[in-house]
Amino acid sequence: MVTKKTSPDLLNSFSFKSLKLKTKQQELLIRVSILGLVYVLAFIARLFSVLRYESMIHEFDPYFNYRTTLFLTEKGFYEFWNWFDSESWYPLGRIIGGTLYPGLMVTAALIYWALRFLRFFVHIREVCVLTAPFFASNTTIVAYFFGKEIWDTGAGLVAAALIAICPGYISRSVAGSYDNEAVAIFALLLTFYLFVKAVKTGSLSWALGSAFGYFYMVSAWGGYVFIINLIPLYVLVLLITGRYSMRLYVAYNCMYILGMLLAMQIRFVGFQHVQSGEHMGAMGVFLLMQVFYFLDWVKYKLNDTKLFQTFLKITVTSAVLVGGIALGVGTASGYISPWTGRFYSLLDPTYAKDHIPIIASVSEHQPTAWSSFMFDYHILLFLFPAGLYFCFKRLSDATIFIVMYGLTSLYFAGVMVRLILVATPAVCLISAIAVSATVKNLTSLLRTKQKIPQAGSTKGVGSSKSSSKVTLDQSQPFQKNGAIALLVGVFYLLSRYAIHCTWVTSEAYSSPSIVLAARGAHGNRIIFDDYREAYYWLRQNTPTDAKVMSWWDYGYQITAMGNRTVIVDNNTWNNTHIATVGRAMSSYEDEAYDIMRSLDVNYVLVVFGGVTGYSSDDINKFLWMVRIGGGVYPVIKEPDYLVNGEFRVDKGASPKMLNCLMYKLCYYRFGELVTEYGKPTGYDRARGVEIGNKDVKLEHLEEAYTTSNWIVRIYRVKPPTNRL
Amino acid sequence: MAINKKLASLLFLLATVSSFASSASFSDPDSDSDLVNELVSLRSNSESGVIHLDDHGISKFLISSPAPRPYSILVFFDATQLHSKTELRLQELRREFALVSATFLANNNGSDAEKLFFCEIEFSRSQTSFQRFGVNALPHIRLVSGSTSKLSDESGQMDQSDFARLAESMAEFVEQRTKLTVGPIQRPPFLSKAQISVIVALIVIATPFVIKRILRGETLLHDRRLWLSGAIFIYFFSVAGTMHNIIRKMPMFLQDRNDPNKLVFFYQGSGMQLGAEGFAVGFLYTVVGLLLAFVTNVLVRVRNLNVQRSVMLVALFVSFWAVKKVVYLDNWKTGYGIHPYWPSSWR
Repeated sequence: MVTKKTSPDLLNSFSFKSLKLKTKQQELLIRVSILGLVYVLAFIARLFSVLRYESMIHEFDPYFNYRTTLFLTEKGFYEFWNWFDSESWYPLGRIIGGTLYPGLMVTAALIYWALRFLRFFVHIREVCVLTAPFFASNTTIVAYFFGKEIWDTGAGLVAAALIAICPGYISRSVAGSYDNEAVAIFALLLTFYLFVKAVKTGSLSWALGSAFGYFYMVSAWGGYVFIINLIPLYVLVLLITGRYSMRLYVAYNCMYILGMLLAMQIRFVGFQHVQSGEHMGAMGVFLLMQVFYFLDWVKYKLNDTKLFQTFLKITVTSAVLVGGIALGVGTASGYISPWTGRFYSLLDPTYAKDHIPIIASVSEHQPTAWSSFMFDYHILLFLFPAGLYFCFKRLSDATIFIVMYGLTSLYFAGVMVRLILVATPAVCLISAIAVSATVKNLTSLLRTKQKIPQAGSTKGVGSSKSSSKVTLDQSQPFQKNGAIALLVGVFYLLSRYAIHCTWVTSEAYSSPSIVLAARGAHGNRIIFDDYREAYYWLRQNTPTDAKVMSWWDYGYQITAMGNRTVIVDNNTWNNTHIATVGRAMSSYEDEAYDIMRSLDVNYVLVVFGGVTGYSSDDINKFLWMVRIGGGVYPVIKEPDYLVNGEFRVDKGASPKMLNCLMYKLCYYRFGELVTEYGKPTGYDRARGVEIGNKDVKLEHLEEAYTTSNWIVRIYRVKPPTNRL
Repeated sequence: MAINKKLASLLFLLATVSSFASSASFSDPDSDSDLVNELVSLRSNSESGVIHLDDHGISKFLISSPAPRPYSILVFFDATQLHSKTELRLQELRREFALVSATFLANNNGSDAEKLFFCEIEFSRSQTSFQRFGVNALPHIRLVSGSTSKLSDESGQMDQSDFARLAESMAEFVEQRTKLTVGPIQRPPFLSKAQISVIVALIVIATPFVIKRILRGETLLHDRRLWLSGAIFIYFFSVAGTMHNIIRKMPMFLQDRNDPNKLVFFYQGSGMQLGAEGFAVGFLYTVVGLLLAFVTNVLVRVRNLNVQRSVMLVALFVSFWAVKKVVYLDNWKTGYGIHPYWPSSWR
């Protein structure tokens, strides 16, 4: 366990104090080897998914990323950039180049081309599968340097080790989860590190680096909005607390202007930096910086303080007024767009629930319960307040930044589960400070005692302070055994952390969700590979121009694996189109048939867990279809599908529910089936009830294919009957 | 069979004729328009357009003017003595009711506005009407449409689900039943325009002074302890899942279904939590972290060795217990049994 080793190894090196030069060399050697081990550890911990399943792409969005990467490597960059995809969002189509963040695909393609150039002939899929672990390893290196910058090398090493196996990060970066976040967290941390470095040194080159880091982040993930708001906020806090300096001026201006210009090169982002409300804070702070600089200059020129005070008042008031008016006019005239729903729901968390069902419906947008924090951070949560305390003890520009980063991201993580990912680096860094500072103090104390055994316990403060230079905070006058007890406690915690992370990675976060695993009656593993079975069936048995209608969750997978055109997919850009599908699913069959005819649908695909007990199937998602459909088409009303506010599928279900298309397609022929011993026919194992409508008759659709465990069911839409 | 059919049609004919006659004789257009005018004038007296009726008003507008009436009345049943029972949400519903009424008035002019009236009756002053309507549980809102002849007819009752989403769902109910449009609910802004302008003016005036103090470096903002406690608070707020409680409107605890005297504080199942449970665990997190900081930074200043020792022992014990407890709770809640992997030869 590398985590456990980091600190003691580092501290062992201090015992060779007499040989100065050699000690340093030894220390460097140990540090580099620990880092190397952490680098490898971060990579191999993420290979659990490959071991337990196979080398494949996970979940939903990664399939789109994989499909576009494949396109990019086959057709080249310009084709990719101008790609109009007619296979999704039928009949609208989608302009791929202008509606995605290309960072991930370009990165994977570059790695692929580099490997080909070096004569390693790998398949592009393997590159895609291993991109996330590779970047996670790189993140540990950045975390090391970041920790070194804000505290010391010890904290850097601990931070690298913590982040290497932190479940909050692993959940989004196991092998196969080929998603934007995989490279984005690396880019995020890199940008922050370079910016902090720039503020510390005031050097243009670091600021330039930070601007490029920002560019990479913008190209990779929509979460860049966090950076463009956090950094101005940080600058603002520094201004308010009287920490304005020339270094800050250079760093922020260079980073903002260059970063903005670079970000505009990404088509999906475009002119948002000067037009959208989410980016206006950064511009406001930029202008404020200029006012500060100007005031500084005037103060230098004017020697009269009274005159300066008056001047100050006038300037500041007019600057604030002008800014406010400009913002007002911009917003009113429509030049500056208002905040988007996703952003707004972060600030006012109840907003999405009431107004945007399509955001509220996604499981990763749910608010976080304490158990999720515990699951993803484990002991880091206990160490975090201590780390905060240490940061405040030694306040500097860098620690202010990490504290702000930690707190804002933790707040956002509380609002949405998926943002735990963004908070992970900050939590690891702050906890690393706590671990490193504590361990360092305690061990230095132990060694001091060994050297000066006669030192009295009451004099402890003085003796340990004077004798060891490595002590950063006031050292402890504890007895030796007190220090040992504390150390043992800390190592116990760290070992628990390592155990927890390994277990969680292997059992909870390595599932590809496209292949399902369950424990059989005898404890053996059962694999359900129904998704791929269905998609390959579509690919081989349907006409190439067939249009498949399904709920949007499966859109990316159908286009990537089934190679067929879909009506809606996971890029939820057109709410009306999704609502149309939701309406079709929740209408009676003949009404749905008209909708399907108007969309040229040939096949309908539903996911059903009644046989296997798979709970995230379409019936459980059905209320969201009703809500989203009803949001656009008022004929669909949620109460029609509920009985006393309760969602049921058994005999007590509402008549509309029992006869809507989704119900019929899921439960067609299910009434004949015995699913569990000792239960009547048509017993739904996912919901634990006997279904209410066992005699489902289809009029305009016919069953085309049902996978071996009934998880995916595909229906063919019949052509209209002859007119008589 | 044939005779039966004939008889039935005859009866039907009779019934229609008589009903026609009765409607012709009773619903006199003049008195109807008088009633409507009176209702309109009553409505104009109240700000939101909700008419306060008593027994007399009910008998006048609903009983002595039989169906079909040219107007529908939506009645909100209120009871002042029950306002203290917060779980009934009477006052909140009454406010929402007024909102629907005001919105309806704002969006409808002319004849449509005279087809629907929003009324309320209060229990202590109109007990007879409550009996007539057959209302014995609150909250209760009922639509008496123009064709309703018997007051005890409960078909116009608004379901629990119809005011679950407050004014919005009430408006949907009204639109569905009366075929009138209410339109989007216009909630009053959180701050009125005058208030906003005053606040903006205050901020603008205060800015130079604030900046001056900031430049001198003597504000509360320069106090580290304040920032530290704020930071710890945000941490506690986040990890305790408070946002989850706010968004999902989770209660602090639940009553046990099987045993009403027992309270449930912990909910089993990840992704959900109760209010008190989050705060308890968040508190444990914070305590351990702060104890660590305290032991390594504050305790060292204490000169008395015995105090140091005992405090440290207590701190160690408390931390150990808290960590153990949280890990146990987490395993129980998520249902995962987390264990280390040993090499298979060790078993």
